[in-house]
Amino acid sequence: MKNIISWIDRRFPLTSFVKKELTEYPTPRNLSFWWNFGSLAGVVLVIQIITGVFLAMHYKADAALAFDSVEHIMRDVNYGWLIRYMHSTGATAFFAVIFLHMARTLYYGSYRSPRELMWWTGQILLLLMMATAFMGYLLPWGQMSYWGAQVITSLFGAVPFLGDELIIWLRGDFTVGDATLTRFFALHYLVPFIIMAVIMVHLVALHSVKSSNPSGINLADKDNIPFHPYFTTKDLFGLCIFLVIYSYFVFYQPNMFIEAENYIPADPLQTPVHIVPEWYFLPFYAILRSIPDLLGGVIAMTISVLIFAFMPFLDRSKIPGGAVYRPFYRALFYVFVIDVLVLGYVGAKPPEGYLVFIGYFATALYFGVFAILPFLAKKEELWLRKKGLPPELEALIQSEEKQKAERMVARRKAKRARK
Amino acid sequence: MKNKKGLLLLLGVVLYSTQICASSNVSLLDGYEVSVEQDNLKKGATIYYNLCRLCHSLKYIKYQHLLDIGFSESEVNTLRQGKLMNKAIVSTSTPENAMKMFGMVPPDLSIMAKARKQGPEYIYSLMLSYVENSEGVYENQIFNGIKMPDVFSYSIAQGEQEKQAIQKDVADVASFLTWASDPHATERKSMGLGVIAYLVVLSGLMYLVMRRVWRRLE
Repeated sequence: MKNIISWIDRRFPLTSFVKKELTEYPTPRNLSFWWNFGSLAGVVLVIQIITGVFLAMHYKADAALAFDSVEHIMRDVNYGWLIRYMHSTGATAFFAVIFLHMARTLYYGSYRSPRELMWWTGQILLLLMMATAFMGYLLPWGQMSYWGAQVITSLFGAVPFLGDELIIWLRGDFTVGDATLTRFFALHYLVPFIIMAVIMVHLVALHSVKSSNPSGINLADKDNIPFHPYFTTKDLFGLCIFLVIYSYFVFYQPNMFIEAENYIPADPLQTPVHIVPEWYFLPFYAILRSIPDLLGGVIAMTISVLIFAFMPFLDRSKIPGGAVYRPFYRALFYVFVIDVLVLGYVGAKPPEGYLVFIGYFATALYFGVFAILPFLAKKEELWLRKKGLPPELEALIQSEEKQKAERMVARRKAKRARK
Repeated sequence: MKNKKGLLLLLGVVLYSTQICASSNVSLLDGYEVSVEQDNLKKGATIYYNLCRLCHSLKYIKYQHLLDIGFSESEVNTLRQGKLMNKAIVSTSTPENAMKMFGMVPPDLSIMAKARKQGPEYIYSLMLSYVENSEGVYENQIFNGIKMPDVFSYSIAQGEQEKQAIQKDVADVASFLTWASDPHATERKSMGLGVIAYLVVLSGLMYLVMRRVWRRLE
C-alpha cells in the first residue's frame, strides 16, 4: 500500500493534496452548526445525481409515455418508489439546505471581503439549481408540470422585440410539448454536472480564503484547527441529523411537496384553476405577480434573485463581521427573513382580497431592505463609533484600513515603475 | 444552544407552512380513516369491481396485484374471466359509450386518491355528498354539476342503518383506491421505521464520537 501511494506521489500530489485540503486544512475552531450546510448541500447533490441516474434508466422522455413511465417506476420497478421519492424529496431538501446556507452567509456577513467570489459562484450555483429544478419538474408530465412550464416559458415573451421568438426557441414548439419535454430532460441530466464543476470553483475559492466564522473576524492561526478529525465528525453528525429529517419525509410524507394536481396527466386543453410553482419558487413568484405589468414583473423577479450578488457592494460598513456586532444589520436580516416567508405564503395562495396588498407591501419591503442597506450600514457605523467600540475591534478596523492603504500605495508604486 | 433553538424554530415554521399549503378548500366529512386491513381492501375491491368498474378503469392495477390484498388465486381467476394475469383492470364500458352517455370519459381511478388534496377523505366525502333536491334530482354538495350518478343511492337511503351500511361500503372503496394509488405505502412505512431507527442510533453514536474528538481541544 505504502509503495503504491509513494508511486502515485512521485507522479501526482496525492498525499500532499489530501493533507493540505482535507486532513490538515485549517478551519476556525468556533464554527457553529450553521456551517454544516455547505457540505450537506454537497451530499444532497450526490443523492440527487445517483437517484436521478437510476430514474433515467426507467423513465421515458416522451409526452405520450412520460406520465405512465413514472407510475411504472413507482409501482413495478424494484424499489422504484424509494428512488423516486428520494429524488423528489431531495429537490426540496436541496433548496432547504441551500436557503439555510445563504441565510447563514447573510447573517454572519460571510459574503464580505475577501469572500465575494465565493458568494458570486454561490449565486451562479443557485441559478443553475433553479433551472435544474424547474426543468426536472416538467418530467413527470402532470398537470402542474405542464402548466408550470407553460407559464414560466411564456414569461420570456415579455422580452421586447424577441419575446415571441424566444418562447418558441425555448419550447421547441408553439406550446409546451414533446419537443420541450425531451430538451428539458436532456438539460436536466446535463446541468447537475455543470453544477459539480462550479462547486469545484466554489471550493477552490473557499480553500484559498478559508471559512468565515461566527465572530466575523479573520482569526489568527492559533484559532484554527485541522479539518480532520474535528469537522469530519461534526459534519457527519450533522449529516445524520439531516438524514433523519429527510427520511421522515421520504418514508412518511413523500407527497407533501408534490401538488395533488400533478398526479393528473398533463392536459393541454384544461388549465388548472390555480397554478402554483414548487414551494422554493413561491417568494419569487409572489414578486412576479405583485407587479401589475408583465415585463415589470419579470424584471422584478429576475432582480429579486440576482440582487444577492450585489450584497458586497451594498454593505460597505467598516464594522467587521456580520449581524453579531451590528444591531441595525441584524434587525434588517430578520425583517428580510420574515418578509420572504410572507412572500412565500402570498405566492401559495390565489391573488385575492387583502393578500394582493400584502403582496405589494412585501415586494416593496423586499427591495427596500436592499436599498436601505448602504445608508443603514453607514448610520450604524457612526452610531456604534459614538457609543464606543471595544478597543480590539477599533484596532482591527485600523489595521484593515492600514493594509488597504498599503495595498493602494504598492499598486501606485508599481504603476509608476512601469511608466 | 442558541443555534439549535434557531434550527428547531425554522423546522417548525417549515412544517407549519407546508400544512397551510396542503389543506383543502372544500369541507370534507369527518369520521373516516384510511384502512390498510386486507378485509377492508378486499371488500372495497369487490365493490369497485362490481360497481365502479362499469365506468371507471384502474389502468395501473393488474389482476395479479389483487393477490397482494388477500385475494386467492382462484378468486382472481373468477374475476379476470380468462384475461391474462398481467392485464390492467379496465372498465366494462368503452370510451365511445361513455362519451355518448356522459359527454366525457370517466377518469381512471388508479391514482385518484393522490390526485386530489386529502384524496382518500375527498373520495369518501364525495360519495356521501349526494342529496336529492326538491325536484327529485340528485345533486352533489362537493362537486357541483357532477356527471356521475349517486351510485351508492345515499341520497335516497332510508334510516340510519341503511346509511351506515353505505358509509361502510364507501369507506372500503376509498381505502381500496388509496391502496391502488400507492400500493407500496405499507412497505414504505415499515421500511421507514427501520431506517429512521437506525439513523437515530447512528446520530447518537456520531454525537458521542464528535464529543470525544472535540474534548481533545480542551
